[in-house]
Amino acid sequence: MSKKYTYYPGCSSEGSAAHLDKSLRAIASKLGIELEDIADWNCCGASVGHIESGHLTTAALSARNLAQAREQGEQDVMTPCAACYLNTHATNENIRDKGTFKDELNEALAVAGKSYDGSLHVRHACEVLINDIGLDKIREQVTNPLQGLKVAGYVGCQTVRPFANTERGGEYDTYDDPDFLDGFIESTGAEAAEFDNKTSCCGGSSSVMSPDKTLHLIKKILNEAKEKEADVIATPCPLCQQNIEMYQGRINAEQGTDFNIPVVFYSQLMALAFGMDADKDAGLNQNIVKADKLTAKAGK
Amino acid sequence: MAAAAPEPQGKYDLGFARQVYGNIDGGDKLAMCMQCGVCSGSCPIGETMDYGPRKLFMMVRAGMKEAVLKSNTIWNCVSCYNCVVRCPRQVPVTYILHDLAAMAVREGYVEARKSDNARFAKAFWWSTRKYGRSDERLITAKYYFSGGLIDGTRKGMANMKIAMAMIKAKRMHLGAPHKIKKRGELKEILAKAKEIQERQPATPEDVK
Repeated sequence: MSKKYTYYPGCSSEGSAAHLDKSLRAIASKLGIELEDIADWNCCGASVGHIESGHLTTAALSARNLAQAREQGEQDVMTPCAACYLNTHATNENIRDKGTFKDELNEALAVAGKSYDGSLHVRHACEVLINDIGLDKIREQVTNPLQGLKVAGYVGCQTVRPFANTERGGEYDTYDDPDFLDGFIESTGAEAAEFDNKTSCCGGSSSVMSPDKTLHLIKKILNEAKEKEADVIATPCPLCQQNIEMYQGRINAEQGTDFNIPVVFYSQLMALAFGMDADKDAGLNQNIVKADKLTAKAGK
Repeated sequence: MAAAAPEPQGKYDLGFARQVYGNIDGGDKLAMCMQCGVCSGSCPIGETMDYGPRKLFMMVRAGMKEAVLKSNTIWNCVSCYNCVVRCPRQVPVTYILHDLAAMAVREGYVEARKSDNARFAKAFWWSTRKYGRSDERLITAKYYFSGGLIDGTRKGMANMKIAMAMIKAKRMHLGAPHKIKKRGELKEILAKAKEIQERQPATPEDVK
């Protein structure tokens, strides 16, 4: 029996993290997860919008999405994006718990004939996979185990901070030493490398706007992956995937290193392990640093 | 991190702490800060900041409004939330830094062309408000050239290889911007929210 969720793909699903969206939708069908997109969803504001717009105005972005999601039913809202999760979850909690905040946002929603009472639950896709689906069910779907592949599980920040390990964050892991990602990796038959930098920061949006300030953060993560002889880095976060992958060439050129480490999403690993198509389902052709060892596993 | 003392000759505004406690998202919790420094010690980017969060918070209390709102501390935060989860007094450090940055923009403490983050936030909000989606390609281009033609060209050239690779991988598109259908509705909601936001200073119990 499948379980239905209202799905919030987030803006990166149409751009830099198209391969996260693609592979997640692919594995969802195998795991009994039914996804219905929030109709006409808008951007959450990420971690910069509020600087220009202010706190309440940015929260109104999430409020519109939540009002629409509620119109589509009482099922939980699920998003694979760290920033979408952070903003939507925080706004949802604030609407539920803070009377004035709820009133103010509802006053704003009212101009469009909308309202929202904070009754939904907003959940990260990884937490849903752990708590609702479970590693056993993921293992059951594996027909093409990724044996011999060593993967550095890089969680990043906002997937687990600040909400993991709180009642409202699903209590699915810890914020400083989470092991859900290693669980995903091992469930596909691959080996999870011991990775000290698993929750180190990649610089987030600062790496997009001012990489000069943050390339050293990315380099530290790449260095460890190389030291641990990882074949690939796997991450749940759209911005982490992009930053860790796309700056390798620049770091190599500026600092004389020779990084060439594929950075994939956990959902891409799962799609492959589930025997799905390397490009059409796992989206491996959308990785800039080509994951040849993975493509070979898919027999392509 | 350099332990330079904040400029002692700067202006002091004794109402500043009250302004932060009452009007900044999470500011009411700032009174709980016991100056332990776990936030500054947890920060992955602390060495690039004029002052770490611990020192910045003491400066808020001391009324050093100008030094606080002109510091790069509020801009360099990478939103990793290490400080938030580690603070023994539950001070929501990241939220406070972000909203201090918004205050710095609002009150004119930021020379728009000098702060990468302020320019990036402006480009980001432009796309979000106009299209309902953050179109990564347009935001990047708008941000690059917000520092002038020369800076924009330099940044564009430095990242040309990345852009080409993203296009080739179908992770950056060349057509019309991504946009939602009900853009008018979203604009109305946002305009109303902004009006409410500016209407009244939030009371401490309303903020995180």
